[in-house]
Amino acid sequence: MELQLGLALPTNPTKGFDLNYYGYEPKEVVVSGLWFDGNNCYVSSHQDINIDDNKKRSFSQAFENSSTDRAVPRTLPLLLWNNRPNEEDDPKDPNNHHSLFAFNKNDDGDRDGVVGWPPIKSWRNNNNKRVCHDNQGGRRLLENAYAYCGGRRSNSMYVKVKMEGVAIGRKIDLTLHNSFQTLTDTLIDMFQKWLLETGQKNSNIYKLAYQDKEGDWLYTEDVSWRTFIGSVQRLKLLKSSSK
Amino acid sequence: MQRMAGSSFPEEVLEHVFSFIQDGKDRNVISMVCKSWYEIERWSRRRVFVGNCYAISPRMLIRRFPEVRSVELKGKPHFADFNLVPEGWGGYVGPWIAAMAVAYPWLEEIRLKRMVVTDEGLELISKSFKNFKVLVLSTCEGFSTEGLAAIAANCRNLRELDLRESDVEDQSGHWLSHFPDNYTSLVSLNISCLGSEVSFSALERLVGRCPNLRTLRLNRAVPLDRLANLLRRAPQLVELGTGVYASELRPDVFSNLSGAFSGCKELRGLSGFWDVVPGYLPAVYPICSRLTSLNLSYATIQSPDLIKLVSQCQNLQRLWVLDYIEDAGLDVLAASCKDLQELRVFPSDPYEAEPNVSLSEQGLVSVSAGCPKLESVLYFCRQMSNAALRTIARNRPNMTRFRLCIIEPRTPDYVTLQPLDAGFGAIVEHCKDLQRLSLSGLLTDRVFEYIGTFAKKLEMLSVAFAGESDLGLHHILSGCENLRKLEIRDCPFGDKALLANAAKLETMRSLWMSSCSVSYGACKLLGQKLPRLNVEVIDERGHPNSRPESCPVEKLYIYRTVAGPRFDMPNFVWTMDEDSELRLS
Repeated sequence: MELQLGLALPTNPTKGFDLNYYGYEPKEVVVSGLWFDGNNCYVSSHQDINIDDNKKRSFSQAFENSSTDRAVPRTLPLLLWNNRPNEEDDPKDPNNHHSLFAFNKNDDGDRDGVVGWPPIKSWRNNNNKRVCHDNQGGRRLLENAYAYCGGRRSNSMYVKVKMEGVAIGRKIDLTLHNSFQTLTDTLIDMFQKWLLETGQKNSNIYKLAYQDKEGDWLYTEDVSWRTFIGSVQRLKLLKSSSK
Repeated sequence: MQRMAGSSFPEEVLEHVFSFIQDGKDRNVISMVCKSWYEIERWSRRRVFVGNCYAISPRMLIRRFPEVRSVELKGKPHFADFNLVPEGWGGYVGPWIAAMAVAYPWLEEIRLKRMVVTDEGLELISKSFKNFKVLVLSTCEGFSTEGLAAIAANCRNLRELDLRESDVEDQSGHWLSHFPDNYTSLVSLNISCLGSEVSFSALERLVGRCPNLRTLRLNRAVPLDRLANLLRRAPQLVELGTGVYASELRPDVFSNLSGAFSGCKELRGLSGFWDVVPGYLPAVYPICSRLTSLNLSYATIQSPDLIKLVSQCQNLQRLWVLDYIEDAGLDVLAASCKDLQELRVFPSDPYEAEPNVSLSEQGLVSVSAGCPKLESVLYFCRQMSNAALRTIARNRPNMTRFRLCIIEPRTPDYVTLQPLDAGFGAIVEHCKDLQRLSLSGLLTDRVFEYIGTFAKKLEMLSVAFAGESDLGLHHILSGCENLRKLEIRDCPFGDKALLANAAKLETMRSLWMSSCSVSYGACKLLGQKLPRLNVEVIDERGHPNSRPESCPVEKLYIYRTVAGPRFDMPNFVWTMDEDSELRLS
């Protein structure tokens, strides 16, 4: 049986979206809205005595403050977190949400792109050869989507990385690196947490290997960066002692 | 005493009647009529679709439906396709295969999407199900050609092996040789995602001895000069994916190929076309008029060649193409292909700031005007206007899937510099049967007001870099009655709307929010108060407890489930529930 769970359906759908209607007819007491003040949780239900006519507090009553014309609704005291003013509205707060939904800046400096944008499946990038115009205006086919087109890099090139002995692999964006040093450092860092958690200490004993386009596995120490980046399909960190 | 009409039928009759009803939703409705119908239905259900593999456990599924022959499972959230879900998140099919190997010995079909499959799992499949017929692995990973070898060797009745877009670790091309010489039942083979070569002679022999082969999608490693041989061995093919479509231009190779194509009278769909040498395109001209489906999304050929090709495909229903087609090519498409239902235009160079092709909103407007059956659109472009969107909406009220990606985030209407709220508002207002919508460009809370008001049939919504406040999210959650999947990234949506509409989440399959403003405290609250949801916090910065409760989480994935919290999560995913306070402290 479908329960009506507090869907707010406006009665006049055309102009003047009516925020004042926020009613429902529950078949049983169910949680449809929650308020949290850091210590107590207020659950709204049709038995809540603060609500008249079985209508829940409307969104506009709960969230809007007519004394400001800000787009972000000011919160009522019920929505204070641990009795502090709502941190979301403070633009100076370092934990402010703006820092998260701004362009995703990685620590790896020179990227001007955003992870996963535009929304194109990675195999379309990794598998496509890129057509590129070289300095003479001629056309040149370049391998493996890692194309220098007039000096500008392709946005991302994710390959899988596995560490020997670790069940779960990771993915790394190779366009953020242009040397084995930074790559290896980043990889060790990535798996460091796992190494520490499982009590393994010595991360120096791992060597980096990669699978090339022909399916062969090679050690990165044996090739140049250029050869590597033009052919790499996936990476593996192998213990030095193994072969 | 007069018996109720329903119970006076013997079970066999009801079962026979139910056998005509295949659709899962219909069968769900049937099962709710009365207890005896529930019982008869569950014993006779042969096909099950589980949209979220964590919404139910294998044991529960098997307990309710003991005689299933076909299972479809989906794992990771959709945004995993764009690297937003970290590796190791989950979606392991292992437990399902292990349980079904025992409970469903007569299982015939397994279809998986975005799941992690291992070679051991594939081997178990190949050995457990004697009548196994169909394996579809869509955007899956975790297995290698060794697992495929087991499938080839052991599944005597295999009809379909489709690896579409999966990430397969290629170890050797010899897995194909594991199909026994007396194996002849192949109907559909899709290996287009494989990187390395397969054994060509094994492939040719396989194709030659399977008279029912209808679909063959080769991988890039199959050279063009071997294509003709394959086609001559399988002239009954309905769908073909070529390998690399490039070779030194030679008249003998060309005429061989052209003749082979002409011999395929049943061919209706073409794909592949990697690295196209335009001189070889005329080889397919003789069959263009029969084509209903054409995937040129890897073909780096320019507009004039595309136009020559497309203008001959009068019966085309589906076209996937790169933006090399340009507005001019889309004009020709609009004029030539009156049966077109689905158009996808992918960007050839999405990371360049400046456009490399002459493709704008005009192309899409043209197609919307010229193709009366157009209902599904995926369009990447660099500029859009409210006027164009309004025109498209008015032209095509029959639109059901509309995904627009303006490449630069927060791009306004290029004519008026206004947000694109009104344009998308027109889309949802006119296209009353819209099921899927992806937004882009500069958008305020207003667009969500329109969506909440008008998009009553909307089932899936994708939002990125849009909105101004929680009001936007509130409009969606409170207005879209049929919403099942909502995925949001980089929007200023926080706790208020989510908490106020918490109950809505139980009516949806899932909600994804990343780089938004939902706090850890709100996640904990949702998890504690709504036991029928799994509220998963994904945060690679480390334990959420190491930051203030008001700090936003990196990523949030909420889905309804009857199976309770899962236990196969990596160390950067936490489920919020009543115990989480204890477990995390």
